Amino acid sequence: MKQQLSRRDFLKSSGALAAGVMASQIMPLATAQGDLPFEVVPEAVNPLGLEAGANVEGVFFEGGFGRSYIDNAADIFRALHPDNEMTVEGIQQVSEILRPRFIGGNPPDVIDNSGAFSIPMDSLVADEQLADLAPLMAAPALDTPGMTFGETLFPGSQADGVFDGRQLYLNIAYTVSGIWHSQSLFDEKGWEYPRTWDGLMGLCETIKSAGIAPWTYQGKFPGYMVFGCLMPLVYKNGGIQAIKDIDNLVDDAWKSDAVMQALNMMHQLVENDYILPGTEGLTHTESQAEWLQGNAVFIPCGTWLENEMRELTPEGFDMVVKPVPGPDESSYHSVGAWPGEPYIVPVNAANVTGGMEFMRCMLSKANAQFFAKEISAIMPVFGGSEGVELSSALQSALEAVEAANGGFDYLSRGWYSDLWTAVANATGELLTGRISPDQFAETVQAAADEVKADGDIPKYTRA
Amino acid sequence: MLVVFGGDEPTMTNNAIAAWLQFKKKKYHIILPFTLPSLLLFLVFLVYPYGQAMYISLTKWRGLTPKPTFVGLANFEKLLGDALFWNALKHNLIYLVSIPAITIVISLYLAFLLTHGKARFRKFYRIAFFFPQVMSLVAIGVLWSFIYHPTIGVLSSIASMLGATDSIAWLGNPDLALGAVGTVVIWQAVGFYVVLFMAGMDSIPESYYEAATIDGATRWDLFWKITLPLLWDTIRTALVFLAIGATNMFAITQTMTQGGPNRSTDVLSTYVYERAFLSGKFGYATAVAVAMFLLAFALSILTMRATRRESLEY
Repeated sequence: MKQQLSRRDFLKSSGALAAGVMASQIMPLATAQGDLPFEVVPEAVNPLGLEAGANVEGVFFEGGFGRSYIDNAADIFRALHPDNEMTVEGIQQVSEILRPRFIGGNPPDVIDNSGAFSIPMDSLVADEQLADLAPLMAAPALDTPGMTFGETLFPGSQADGVFDGRQLYLNIAYTVSGIWHSQSLFDEKGWEYPRTWDGLMGLCETIKSAGIAPWTYQGKFPGYMVFGCLMPLVYKNGGIQAIKDIDNLVDDAWKSDAVMQALNMMHQLVENDYILPGTEGLTHTESQAEWLQGNAVFIPCGTWLENEMRELTPEGFDMVVKPVPGPDESSYHSVGAWPGEPYIVPVNAANVTGGMEFMRCMLSKANAQFFAKEISAIMPVFGGSEGVELSSALQSALEAVEAANGGFDYLSRGWYSDLWTAVANATGELLTGRISPDQFAETVQAAADEVKADGDIPKYTRA
Repeated sequence: MLVVFGGDEPTMTNNAIAAWLQFKKKKYHIILPFTLPSLLLFLVFLVYPYGQAMYISLTKWRGLTPKPTFVGLANFEKLLGDALFWNALKHNLIYLVSIPAITIVISLYLAFLLTHGKARFRKFYRIAFFFPQVMSLVAIGVLWSFIYHPTIGVLSSIASMLGATDSIAWLGNPDLALGAVGTVVIWQAVGFYVVLFMAGMDSIPESYYEAATIDGATRWDLFWKITLPLLWDTIRTALVFLAIGATNMFAITQTMTQGGPNRSTDVLSTYVYERAFLSGKFGYATAVAVAMFLLAFALSILTMRATRRESLEY
């Protein structure tokens, strides 16, 4: 899901300032390479052969993660290559701002192509606009001696960026998605997070009779309930095959037993009136604010939530993320998780080598640790949380992925934007009681059939 | 020497003819430099981009390379069968029928009251009504999103004061959202037309009203028989403005609902934006935009035609 990262940037003012302070703290002067806080083995200094004086222009989506981690990566780059200038520009409307640069044939050297207004990745791939990152993947990692850059990244975390065997983009964040609650509230009330969906419904009843709304979601963007609740329930009812069938546009995949069971389970929230009244009129940040104020107990979201809402989070709230409980205890641990925040190096950029070299700094162990500490988010880099004191949210997310032994993902969200919109819209209708689970299945299956029949939409499959 | 312009002047001497030709030549020397810049601006910034847009609407283009692929009328063919296009068009048509009519009725009423009602604080009201007009649409959209906010919004507070138990999600309910957005546009537009109509009413000589009043006309008569006919040209202009506005609606929709929930507030302009910038289908989006242009163009002509009456001179 990308919408959430698109919106307001809560970090902007204070975060950027903090980053400046941070950067000066972790950059004690004097090592072989200028001001780096870590040792760099000689063969990892400039493996891509960046020429002195070749400047790097970076333009980055600045959303839920803020920009301090980008500045930190740029500082590492500058310390590593004192003879190359690096510019960092943060933007929100990636598509509007950068399209003219692509059409003009002079795109920036490295781009964070994320957010609700990103350039569709399938367009960039189809129009041959992206550089093959093979040299980067094979280059020595910056601060993990003896390993190539590619080897330091979580296995599978970059799989969606491979097209016809070429690595065309790199995900810099690893998101865990589930149901969030305040641990301190649970401790105070003596509640325990249930291991089954029925248990959760029982707890919702308790909460409701205590006079609190059990549930809210990001109303105007009902897609959060798709990846945060519906898809996990589909997975827990039908295993990965049910998700694969949906992704591969298998006929009647949206009418399978697994989907129908999941829909009926989610629909209990509506039947029992567990959703905070007025939720459908709230934006993502507004509903998250309601949740932080204690007006609702549960909300679905990904791990960007903590950073996005940092300034509105009450002291001692202790937010934690848990898997969506399934029909039985055995399916409790599986959790939705996926890589995101894709970075690209345009093939027509003036300094392709520089763009790749920046990515080596971006996905370095040092920057991953900065990301974990300052942004409370995970980079798919080994050793990225070493020696970092984790927040309750990040701790719970890591525990969830560990217990699940890796997360599952729903890919067609990124492949077929028209279908994703239809699913999100139908979910909004379902959660406001305007359509039934059967009507949901009809509507969404029709949208999937339409995508399948449209020859203009490139098709993908997952094995 | 006497030079007489025009006609077949038999008294014109050869010299005079030469001078006349000289002048005619010079006239263009003067006219050309004055018209050329605006003509050039018109060509470069209006005709050329429109022509280019027309061309792009005949292509398949992802908006990333300088080379769109020509596909003829395929985009327009697809458009005819696109339920989402018709859905958006339907909303534009609803706005088109409702917004100009409601706005003009309210504005006329308020303008008439302020002009003839001997209201106190007339100037204050005029400024107060006009105020929304000087705010940007985006700011208004954000402001009204708060007014419509289901938990902290003013409307919800009033509703709960009146005893409503459920909070109403004005922008979250597909049945209410279109009306909620339309209301904001009317609220914003009324002030402008009040001022416009007041200016028109002020220029109607007071003596007409006095004469009619002496003949026993009621205020109702004054409005229908004097104000309205003499204001007709202004109303006509207002209709065209409002109609064109109702075919657009981009800023306010994009700020308040992004076309949601479930496309219940989608209009052509937001649909164009979605297709172009979010789905990367610039060729198709441009085809929708061209359809939108034709619609607005046809509407302006239609409105002018339908409201054409003999202008009353006074």
